[in-house]
Amino acid sequence: MLSTNTMERRLQLSGIILMLGLIVQALCLILGRGAMGFMIFACLGGLLVMVGIIVFLVSLVAALPS
Amino acid sequence: MHCAGEARLAEAFFFAAGKLGSMEHATILVVSLIGMTIILIAVIVFRPEVTATRGGKMLAFLVLLALPILCMGMGGAKELHRSMSTQFCLSCHIMEPYGKSLLVEDPTHLAAAHFQNHLVPPDEACYTCHTNYAMFGGLKAKFNGLRHMYIYYFGTPPAAEDIKLYESFNNRECLHCHAGARSFEEGAVHTADPDLLPALKANKTSCISCHSVVHDVKTLNEQKFWKGAA
Repeated sequence: MLSTNTMERRLQLSGIILMLGLIVQALCLILGRGAMGFMIFACLGGLLVMVGIIVFLVSLVAALPS
Repeated sequence: MHCAGEARLAEAFFFAAGKLGSMEHATILVVSLIGMTIILIAVIVFRPEVTATRGGKMLAFLVLLALPILCMGMGGAKELHRSMSTQFCLSCHIMEPYGKSLLVEDPTHLAAAHFQNHLVPPDEACYTCHTNYAMFGGLKAKFNGLRHMYIYYFGTPPAAEDIKLYESFNNRECLHCHAGARSFEEGAVHTADPDLLPALKANKTSCISCHSVVHDVKTLNEQKFWKGAA
């Protein structure tokens, strides 16, 4: 499923991590009401979204001509 | 077997539909934005070759950076707003006695009287009294809340009866609502001593010094409780 092109593969990886993070956050918003929902939203969802964004930014930097 | 599976699926669908139906409009908006972002990200994941074009690059920037940040910001704001609710505060096991103390059937219990007579919004009862009405007070209250959650989940929380305020309760929090109210300004006890009202307003005499029973969690076993509005 992952592309053979390094840049595209990094973008795919970033997208998958972001989708997981956003799914976690959406579930917390729909189902969570208490402190546990908040913790999962911030710690797990937030972490996955941040990692996804960082992977995207790294892929941009790595694609720059040296 | 097949029917049982379908029944479970239908049950899950109606559960999800019920949850969606009970959601606030703002939450629906944020969840819709997240859903749309996920769909757009899926385009990049399943068709990464679209990023070879100029339009594809712009799409990648939008859905892999801008939209997730927007979703996280809006979702975070919604979660922070939700953290002001009474339900949120009482979701920690340690806070249960404090929640119970709101239903004590004794009007001399300050928190119970405020909660039961809607002198504070019942769905934001804890936050209304325990926030700080000074500049950046709401922010300070939220940071304190984050600290409480950290201690609750990763530290050693104290017993409910050992919980104490960080600092003595400031009259400013009471006066936020009571200042200017006739019952406060012209109350017989408050006006009996002409020095009392100025002292209360200057926080030199604490409101709690007279209204001393607030959350008496140690005597909950001896109390009668209000069953709640029908």
